[in-house]
Amino acid sequence: MANLKDLKTRINSVKSTQKITAAMKMVAAAKLRRAQEAAESGRPYANRMRRVTANLAAKADVNSAPALLVGNGKSATHLLVVISADRGLCGGFNGSITRQTRTEVTRLQDEGKTVKLLMVGRKSADALRREYGKQFIDSFEGIQGTSVSFSDAASLGDTILTGFEAGDYDVCTMIYNKFVNAITQEITLTQLIPAEINAVDDSDANVNYEYEPEEDELLDTLLPRILSTQIYSALLESSAAELAARMTAMDNATRNAGDLIDRLTLVYNRTRQAAITSELIEIISGAEAV
Amino acid sequence: MAETIQLELVTPARIMAQKAVQMVVVPGVEGLFGVLPRHAPLLAGLERGIVEVHEDGKITDRIMIDGGLADVSGESITIMAERAIDLGTADSAALKETAVAANEAEADFLNAVVAEL
Repeated sequence: MANLKDLKTRINSVKSTQKITAAMKMVAAAKLRRAQEAAESGRPYANRMRRVTANLAAKADVNSAPALLVGNGKSATHLLVVISADRGLCGGFNGSITRQTRTEVTRLQDEGKTVKLLMVGRKSADALRREYGKQFIDSFEGIQGTSVSFSDAASLGDTILTGFEAGDYDVCTMIYNKFVNAITQEITLTQLIPAEINAVDDSDANVNYEYEPEEDELLDTLLPRILSTQIYSALLESSAAELAARMTAMDNATRNAGDLIDRLTLVYNRTRQAAITSELIEIISGAEAV
Repeated sequence: MAETIQLELVTPARIMAQKAVQMVVVPGVEGLFGVLPRHAPLLAGLERGIVEVHEDGKITDRIMIDGGLADVSGESITIMAERAIDLGTADSAALKETAVAANEAEADFLNAVVAEL
């Protein structure tokens, strides 16, 4: 049986762990509010951008449409853009992204395609480096998280575009955690190139627009923008999801620590009483022997 | 009250302006143009320049944008810009400071804004 001093030390260490997890939970909750607001205020721009692009894309001539919209006719090389977190301690957040990426890479390779990876966030990059390190074309750190800036998303978009124009890959898909609510994140795959543009459902599509400059020219300048916008909203969603995952994970950890403390305290008290009893027995039997 | 058009200026981060106004002058790639209520539907690329908001016959807001897109319908105009700064509330000292830390494209725009102030 463990002695009293050991138990006391153990209880104290669990207590300090609990304090840390409780603090982390509160920090995550506070940051989550802001991240959620950022994700929500980013939506109007993304939605309007999508509507305009869909409208233009519907009018574009299929034969002369830009490669970003219709693809370059091949699908031999795939680029996966993987967005994870820079920091751990957020439950299954990074793990599930890593797992999904691995499944996707295996699936594509089984189909005989070449796969390249662009990693955003340290955790998944670390987890996959040993297996797929040679397929990394680049990895970024510190651009997602608490402060996501559009410039970072735009430069990431430029990197992807440059590679596409150089013919390094034919199809580009982004994998990230989408924020659903504080306890659910949903792994989402979005195809960036060729741009996946949902048909417009409102009557807007039938309006006879005038274009300035011409449709094609406008579409050319618009497609890189929609790429950056998609990346930007993915980064925002991912950081909100990360904080939500951390909050839930830390909440569980705090509760577990509480349970553990209760159990340990019980053992501690039993041990203490057992020690007192055995001391008493010693004294009594000593007295009787006299 | 005169007829108005609903103006919306959105950036990736937030909605910068949302109100009913009399006229908006925007810097199109093929030249400045004014948008009045009942304008014909138009989709126009925008250049770096100043969006002027007219209310009651006066310019009430001047917002500098770094290129973008304007989606005009009869009753509304939506301006989508990657970067936008309201010249009425901008502080040139603070902008210069941000420009030093920002990346090239951002700094370039900020300096252009400072020059405009």
